[in-house]
Amino acid sequence: MDHVKEERAGSAGQAAAASRRRLRKFEAIAPGRALLTLVMAGFALLMVVPFIWMVGTSFKSPAEVFVYPVKWIPSSLNWEHHLRVWTGPDGFATYYANSLKISLISTAGAVFLSSLAAYGFARIRFKGREPLFLLYLSMMMVPPQVLFVPKFIMFDAIGIYNTHLALILPGMFTIFGVFMMRQFFLGVPGEITEAAFIDGAGHFRIFFRLMLPLAKPALATLAIIDFSWHWNDYENALVFLLDRNLFTVPLGLQNFILENTVDYNGMMAAATAGIVPMLLVFLIGQRYIIQGVAGSAVKG
Amino acid sequence: MGKSWLKRQSLLGYAFIGPNMLGVLLFFILPAIYSFYLMFTDYTFMNPEIHFVGFANIQRMLGDELFYTALRNTVVFLLSVPVSILLAFLVAVALNKSVYWKKTLRALYFMPYITSGVAVAFVWMLLFQPTSGPINGFLRSIGIAHPPGWLSTTDSSMFAIDIIWIWFMLGYNMIIYLAALQEVPEELLEAAKIDGARPWQTLRRIVWPLVSPTTFLLLITGLIMSIKTFGIIQAVTQGGPGSSTTVLSLFIYQNAFRYYEMGYASAISWALFVIILAFTALQWIGQKRWVHY
Repeated sequence: MDHVKEERAGSAGQAAAASRRRLRKFEAIAPGRALLTLVMAGFALLMVVPFIWMVGTSFKSPAEVFVYPVKWIPSSLNWEHHLRVWTGPDGFATYYANSLKISLISTAGAVFLSSLAAYGFARIRFKGREPLFLLYLSMMMVPPQVLFVPKFIMFDAIGIYNTHLALILPGMFTIFGVFMMRQFFLGVPGEITEAAFIDGAGHFRIFFRLMLPLAKPALATLAIIDFSWHWNDYENALVFLLDRNLFTVPLGLQNFILENTVDYNGMMAAATAGIVPMLLVFLIGQRYIIQGVAGSAVKG
Repeated sequence: MGKSWLKRQSLLGYAFIGPNMLGVLLFFILPAIYSFYLMFTDYTFMNPEIHFVGFANIQRMLGDELFYTALRNTVVFLLSVPVSILLAFLVAVALNKSVYWKKTLRALYFMPYITSGVAVAFVWMLLFQPTSGPINGFLRSIGIAHPPGWLSTTDSSMFAIDIIWIWFMLGYNMIIYLAALQEVPEELLEAAKIDGARPWQTLRRIVWPLVSPTTFLLLITGLIMSIKTFGIIQAVTQGGPGSSTTVLSLFIYQNAFRYYEMGYASAISWALFVIILAFTALQWIGQKRWVHY
């Protein structure tokens, strides 16, 4: 079946390539293509309109917020909302510091510990490997809701409830990361490590000197996914943090909005503070981020 | 290579997975076992004395009207998953080859997904503001005298959440489809064109079946991911008005941390586990049978 398909596609492909070459000469602006571009750009605008409205509103005066037709550009720039949101003991400067600390440490730990374990699962034959891996597999199905209550009780008992450790310690362990890295290590051809073994290198040396450098792209992908997961994690912070000075960005944002329910400019200034820095990071690194996300799904 | 070599290999293996295993044991396996035990107790945070109550929590759940409300809401919430996937497919096809400014457009569609869902949910909360928000302002201006109350009324709130979630997930699904579309052989599409197939026919009869493994993967992982989510809902409606947006995962959170009914919450969380187990089983069966070229 595949064979027939290929054959048929092959000859058709040649004809098509020829016609494409002929067409290219006339390909200044194809009207159909331009029309579709316009339509898709229109929908794209719909996707980003909430962001535009958010930033605009954060600079408006209170009276302008709900004026219709919508004032996309405020008549004067009111910076005071932003100033208020960022400064002070429970300002976004504190939330950013907290989020950064938690996300960076968790991600670094998770990337290292899961590649270590992944190497073990992929390249070392040891007793109980298959059942252990099956146990990992089954843990992927357990939803966080099952774990919240017992973790809450445990953390309270050992005194890390309402500290950053309650997010960092569990954050350093990701089953998904083990899967992803294991998949990568399984794909590394055996000949590459064989030579090193013959030279007398042990597993640890091979892991650190050979495998980790080889795995750089996979490590970067995992790091990006894991970091963004920690950065946007609201649910764990909601369950395990109580004190305002410990809040992460999503939790701080929620707190601000609950306390300023009628201050729409302030709310949008806070949302801007929560979103825009990450958007900038995205615009700078979008190629890698998009690749990382696409790569993870194929493997995951 | 005798017994000692094997033993040494085993020790090495444990040395590599040990550190990770310890964490998985502490933060996944033991809590899961503990939660399973709590399901059969009357534990509340207020009353530290734990009594074994057998199946009382499960009986309570099966008789709890709110549990069924949460299930219904969850179903309505999950409807957003196929809708988002279908839209993402169309967007991906359009952005794959046949437009200018591909990269810019892709980035714009993907933008919501990389932002924190909670933050954008707050923006939508104001956009959806029923009396003077911009969405209803627009609807009134085109002649709809009584636009929906969106997040503020019980019959529209879940759909408003769906809209936010579709918007949020679209970019992710699109990226995955774009990757899958690269695998569709160009020659096949050209051949269809030469055979006189219309673009829509090519899309339905050739492209859509070819990306079916991706669709299936996105559907199952999307359902599992969405059924575990409660962050954006907790942020904008806290499950209200009434209990109209209380989905199962939020219902568990509320029972555990608003009412401190932790034994009961554990029982419901295992019901959620059973649903996820069913989705996963579907994935295994589907991968073997349904997905083929």
